[in-house]
Amino acid sequence: MSRSLLLGLITYGLLLAGVAIKRGELIALAIPCVVYLFAGFLFSPDEINLEATRHLSAERTSPNADVVVTVTITNRGARLDEVLLDDVLPSDLTLRSGHTRHLIRLPKDSSFNFAYTIAGPRGGYGFESVRAEVNDPLGITSRTVQIEAKGQLFIFPSLTRLRHVAIRPRRTRVYAGTIPARVGGTGTEFFGVREYHQGDSPRAINWRVSAHQQDVLYSNEFQQERVADVGIILDGRLRTNEFARGHSLFEFSVQAVAALTDALLTQGNRVGLLVYAAFLRWTLPGYGKIQREKILFSLAHARPGGSEVFADFQHLPTRLFPSESQIVLVSPLHEDDLMPLVYLRAQGYQVLVVSPNPVKFELSYLPKNKNVELAGRMIHMERALLLQKVQRAGIQVLDWDVAEPFDRVVKRKLSRPPAWLRAVGR
Amino acid sequence: MTLVAFVLSVIIGTASLAYGYSQAGMTDPARWFILLGIVWILSHWRKVYWVSSFAFFLAILGAAYGVWNDLPTIWMLLGALGGLLGWDLSDFARRLSYAAPTDDVQGLERRHLARVSVVAALGFGLAWLSTVIQINRLAFEVAVGLVLLAALGLARLVVRLRKY
Repeated sequence: MSRSLLLGLITYGLLLAGVAIKRGELIALAIPCVVYLFAGFLFSPDEINLEATRHLSAERTSPNADVVVTVTITNRGARLDEVLLDDVLPSDLTLRSGHTRHLIRLPKDSSFNFAYTIAGPRGGYGFESVRAEVNDPLGITSRTVQIEAKGQLFIFPSLTRLRHVAIRPRRTRVYAGTIPARVGGTGTEFFGVREYHQGDSPRAINWRVSAHQQDVLYSNEFQQERVADVGIILDGRLRTNEFARGHSLFEFSVQAVAALTDALLTQGNRVGLLVYAAFLRWTLPGYGKIQREKILFSLAHARPGGSEVFADFQHLPTRLFPSESQIVLVSPLHEDDLMPLVYLRAQGYQVLVVSPNPVKFELSYLPKNKNVELAGRMIHMERALLLQKVQRAGIQVLDWDVAEPFDRVVKRKLSRPPAWLRAVGR
Repeated sequence: MTLVAFVLSVIIGTASLAYGYSQAGMTDPARWFILLGIVWILSHWRKVYWVSSFAFFLAILGAAYGVWNDLPTIWMLLGALGGLLGWDLSDFARRLSYAAPTDDVQGLERRHLARVSVVAALGFGLAWLSTVIQINRLAFEVAVGLVLLAALGLARLVVRLRKY
């Protein structure tokens, strides 16, 4: 019940009782209440004209980094004797220091500043408005207004710098890059030997081969290096990422995608991202820093999710990726994923699977006893078998124990293409 | 500051009612009013703010019942006034609890206490005057006319004052 209503009822009750029993003293009891109500209504602000601005010390930041939010409230209307300001934080953001709620007096044309420090996990957060509850000096009337003060904060996943990620797609683009293009020309990697052509550099002549022939010279030919199309698929399905007791591998997958994106774009490749979760979120392929921002933006909003349609990779929209391009799938993998991956490979894509190891991850927080150990071994064998089948299909697999830093694993296993892939050459 | 004023208001209000009732030999209700004051202060201490509205209602009810039973008007009036102040200060303390430590809480308290003191003094003065000044003969039509005039005057006064 509002205060004015309660006081009004009491006042009318006393007045009516006084009139009914013809006792002036009862009406006298009502007089302080009447004066109180009168004063409250008299001094209540008739117009509320508040403006707000918001400034964030950084609009793009990394997880759990401090961001200072400064809010300025300006009163363009009449004097306000009691204003309760409440800046409601988006969920998941935590207040590190300062206060989001203030009780102030705001004279006409005056301003009030307050600042606080927040931090939070990866995500995109929007600030919409500041809630202001304006009371008269006695608290009889109260009005709540929302003052628009927009702001945005993007917390991108932490970026691990990778020195080099060796990929060998079947088809490359025309621009010069770092990916061996399976075409002879200028480059650094040996490609083959051909007959000497006029204009070849004398340094390119292969004297050893030429010595075996009479009157014919042979030149070394090098492999052209170009940029490639890379499609990164981030598996956000609940069934592969979420585990008991609220543990999730998804953040590790996001970290891996961010690191791979950065490395592949730095190499000059054209990179696109598909987040495969409750729905598909597609970032069109592109080059350079702007594309990195776009992908990081998409990763900031990526959330694991489940749906009947995207429960497995059967509905993977392969048409999004240029034919014979490189596909990098970041997924803990499920046994049902084998056939879609084989199908992807059969379509001519060069596939690299980066798989955060769910077995080791789950064992890391489960109690250590014989039953858990036995179950772990069995599941580990099942997973090893699955990875073996995937590899047999000509798919490169990086089994990542998330306890180990991603850059170290990549340096060890992805800094150059595996021997079998170089030997096969396709 | 607000807390001291609140406790004083509750003590004055409930003690006045208790004293007024005990003067008429009604000792049991007097004890109940003392208990009401204690419960009110304790509930405020425990931040159970809704008790304040209920206690204020009981204080007004007690004062009205006392007036009806010809108990001394001054004590009943003080009881009602103490209840009103206690109710106001309890709610003000609740609102102050939302303030940040860096806010000018003392300034807000000072201004509020000054205003509410003026309002209480004015209310008490007018109420006391109304019990002192008595008009023995007043025709009903005149009384109705005066009430209408007062209502009109108050409305115009409020409208005019709000412009400034």
